[in-house]
Amino acid sequence: MSHALHRHGTAQQLQNDYTFYARTSRFVNREGCGPKLRKILRILLEEKGLVNFGSSHAGKSYKAGLDPDDYAATLDNAYGVAACFSDREAIRSILKKLREADTGISIVISGLIDEIVGIARELDLKPHTAFLSLGIHGKKALLPTDQVLQITTMCGHGMVSAKLSRTVIEKVKAGKMTPEAGAHLLAQPCPCGIFNTERCSAILEVGLEKSILPGPDGPGGPASP
Amino acid sequence: MNCIAQKGDAVEIDQDECVECGVCLRAGVCPTDAIAMPVESTQYPRAIRAQFSDPGVQHPSTNQGGRGTEEMKTNDVTGRIRRGEYGMALEFGRPGTGARMTDLEKVLKLLVTMDVELEKNNAVFAFLDEPLTGGVKPEFRNEKVLSAILEFKIPEHRLEHVVRQLLPVLADLDTVVSWGLVSRFAENGALPVRTKLQALGVPARPNAKINMGLGRPVVEP
Repeated sequence: MSHALHRHGTAQQLQNDYTFYARTSRFVNREGCGPKLRKILRILLEEKGLVNFGSSHAGKSYKAGLDPDDYAATLDNAYGVAACFSDREAIRSILKKLREADTGISIVISGLIDEIVGIARELDLKPHTAFLSLGIHGKKALLPTDQVLQITTMCGHGMVSAKLSRTVIEKVKAGKMTPEAGAHLLAQPCPCGIFNTERCSAILEVGLEKSILPGPDGPGGPASP
Repeated sequence: MNCIAQKGDAVEIDQDECVECGVCLRAGVCPTDAIAMPVESTQYPRAIRAQFSDPGVQHPSTNQGGRGTEEMKTNDVTGRIRRGEYGMALEFGRPGTGARMTDLEKVLKLLVTMDVELEKNNAVFAFLDEPLTGGVKPEFRNEKVLSAILEFKIPEHRLEHVVRQLLPVLADLDTVVSWGLVSRFAENGALPVRTKLQALGVPARPNAKINMGLGRPVVEP
């Protein structure tokens, strides 16, 4: 599914937000994929810029207490390995190592198109296919504000609610919670580990700089497409 | 979903609005441990709510979790979307509003008249009328899910026609739709479809999901 697509925000707000997905194909290379996925996981774990990882089949993310060894044990015949990063150089380093490892597992990176294509050029990789986001259509009056959407869309399965996001924004603003603690709390419902807590902390800090009241959703007015 | 609300001294879950995503249950935050999943949640027609809302629940029709397919994630080894084609994905109810299955019907009834190739491996397909009319089977029409995806493929030259047909129908929905388009990169690494989309008034956002071409064996380099 498209769970790493449609992360909300402007190009500036989406800088340094990368998701990684090593994905097996059901009828091509899933059978016996465990050793390859564990090799990929080891490459990810070695990288300093790793923020979070996990999967729905493991049931929880690293930020919700998933132990890397327990995760590795779930990877036989698994869909794949998901993770997120806040550092362009980390993505570059991982892609370089994966090209050398030549596991044959499909690798998908989400982030700013021009950044990812730029990394590919630097490494002489040929990106194969893009999944573009054409934005949100329909009854947009139902949506929360841009700030809340930036948080909730980091879980593409929609497990992070707007209501919880607003509660955390208000607690951070009131000084009852740090941005880091708020981001950690908000990451709990997202099992795939692509909820980027570093980006979330930054979003919550922006909420401190701009008044988030009045209104149930805080600043920014209605969400833009 | 805003389906949990305080009523007097009690907190109630609005069963009609609840999509069975399981988040409240897994959070373990109820002080009296009163949140439970009723037996109806696992029985049809209501069972489809969890199948389309809880990523830990598999669809019996596909034996896969999640709401979509492998789509472009494995396109380097499956060749599902080739040069000269575009894939499209309309995810109803995303982000965060949820959708009734009737919301899908409004677009499906258009798509079946438009000579598009619907993705039959998507779990949505198991709940559609047979033969395909664009309708959802009656027993599932009013079920609410966190999101459901219509995936289809079009020839490249049909892009303008499909976009112009879809836009007014999407604008008239009672829910939101996150719209995605899959395109192969050109030989020179460019994505010409971005220019076409800009001209059609549906510009691609600056962020995307990119298959890096590291899968093996590559079906179509």
